[in-house]
Amino acid sequence: MHKIPPPALTVRDLRVNLGGLPVLRGVTLSVPKGELVALIGPNGSGKTTLLRAILGLQMIDSGEIRVLDQPLSPATLSRIGYVPQKLELDRSFGLSVREFMALRLPATRRWLWRSHRSIDAALLPAVAGLGIETLLDRPIARLSGGQLQRVLIAWSLLLNPEILLLDEPTAGVDTPGERSFYEMIESIHRQRRMTIVLVSHDLSMVFRYARWVYALNGVVCCEGTPEKIIQDDSLKKAYGLHLTPYHHHHEGLPHVH
Amino acid sequence: MFTDAFMLRALLAAVFLGPVCGLLGVFVTARRLAFFSDTVAHSALAGVAFGLWLGASDPTVAMLIVSLAVAFLLLWLRRHTELLTDTLLALLLSTSVALGVVVFSQLKGYRGEIERYLFGDILSVGSSDLMIAGGVSVGITFLLLHWFNSLTLITAHEDLAHVSGIPVRWIDLGFTLALTLIVTLAIRLVGIILVTSLLVIPAATARNLSQNLRQQTISAWLVGLASAVGGTMASYGLNFPCGPSIVLVCATFFLISLLIRKMHSGSHELEAP
Repeated sequence: MHKIPPPALTVRDLRVNLGGLPVLRGVTLSVPKGELVALIGPNGSGKTTLLRAILGLQMIDSGEIRVLDQPLSPATLSRIGYVPQKLELDRSFGLSVREFMALRLPATRRWLWRSHRSIDAALLPAVAGLGIETLLDRPIARLSGGQLQRVLIAWSLLLNPEILLLDEPTAGVDTPGERSFYEMIESIHRQRRMTIVLVSHDLSMVFRYARWVYALNGVVCCEGTPEKIIQDDSLKKAYGLHLTPYHHHHEGLPHVH
Repeated sequence: MFTDAFMLRALLAAVFLGPVCGLLGVFVTARRLAFFSDTVAHSALAGVAFGLWLGASDPTVAMLIVSLAVAFLLLWLRRHTELLTDTLLALLLSTSVALGVVVFSQLKGYRGEIERYLFGDILSVGSSDLMIAGGVSVGITFLLLHWFNSLTLITAHEDLAHVSGIPVRWIDLGFTLALTLIVTLAIRLVGIILVTSLLVIPAATARNLSQNLRQQTISAWLVGLASAVGGTMASYGLNFPCGPSIVLVCATFFLISLLIRKMHSGSHELEAP
């Protein structure tokens, strides 16, 4: 008999109040290992609060979060790669991409005292194929939205996490950049077979690339495949929009208007 | 110049404080803490006033106590009120200056002291100040280098630092403490009004001259050292107030760095196809 593997991420009846307001009102979801799922919802639906709770950044009122069948702890956090929306840096900080990447890798933690050549010897094999080699000398505060997302993903993959959490990853990225970004995510998912959770309100792209979608509005109001969820009345109600599925003849994927 | 004991003390204070201000300044500018350091510096005026009022011949300890109290009061208010940090800083800055001036007004014969603390005075660096400045500067330099990666990541993204296992709150607290100590000690040399410039200008100058954080850090350390020492010597030689002399030397370095950057970017533009 096959033993069912434990899910990568389980959230049970999670409740969080912020400033007296109930933001999460009993969220329950379970992300299977190796799946590419999307967590969607309109502004104020609790997406970011849920993400912060999973990362141990948000106090919870009740409920349970388990990562790879373990309760939240520094050890489980080290198995998660977190990709924030953007960095808080301004241009007065000269941090280069090489230096930022070196902060993460144990072999290059003493980068302040080492030559570029010796940093690159450890760094380049770790970032091969992620398309950031040409950006290493650039100040990180001067990257475009798409370049920064690429760097942040490479950074989060350096320690080979089992789960990748991405918070509104294409917020500062233009439309062509968005497409190549999601293609990169899909390729990482395929090659590394890792669990990926995309938090987004960008429905079109999410429906195109995610295998499973959770729609959040204080609770999980519906879940399913993109094809199923787009038909769901509760999603339309949550967004207050007219969501009309139609299919590209050549791709057979639903789009959102 | 070097035979005068007071001048030697002032130069040594400049050697101790200038570089560490440059180093701290890299993070102060990136984390937008210039107004914070300004508030801490101004609160030291109340410390001086209270120290003298209580009969202390050297108000350094009183300055440190009041500055630290204001720094931690700010951290507490930020956590327990919904007011913007800028609002809290303005409130604390003006209240501590007002308190300092009121206490000063009750002291006889100390009115001239205010100016020494506002603009710095090389004559005011005593042996005990020098020992404190030396110990604190060396200690904080080591601490900053030890925390360099953590501080860099906290500066880039606090949540990312937290998720990476960095004790963000403790390092933040340690950085606030280090900044408060250095700002308060540098007041003797540069003065309350100008001390923030010794944090901001070397870091900005270094940014103009650098391509990455390592270069920026080393340059800021060197510009801080050169400005503090050059300004102190100019103050002695030209009989200028010490603080303004240091700031003017520092600002000159900044102008030169700006020209170098413009020339550099201009040559790159010419090279571009």
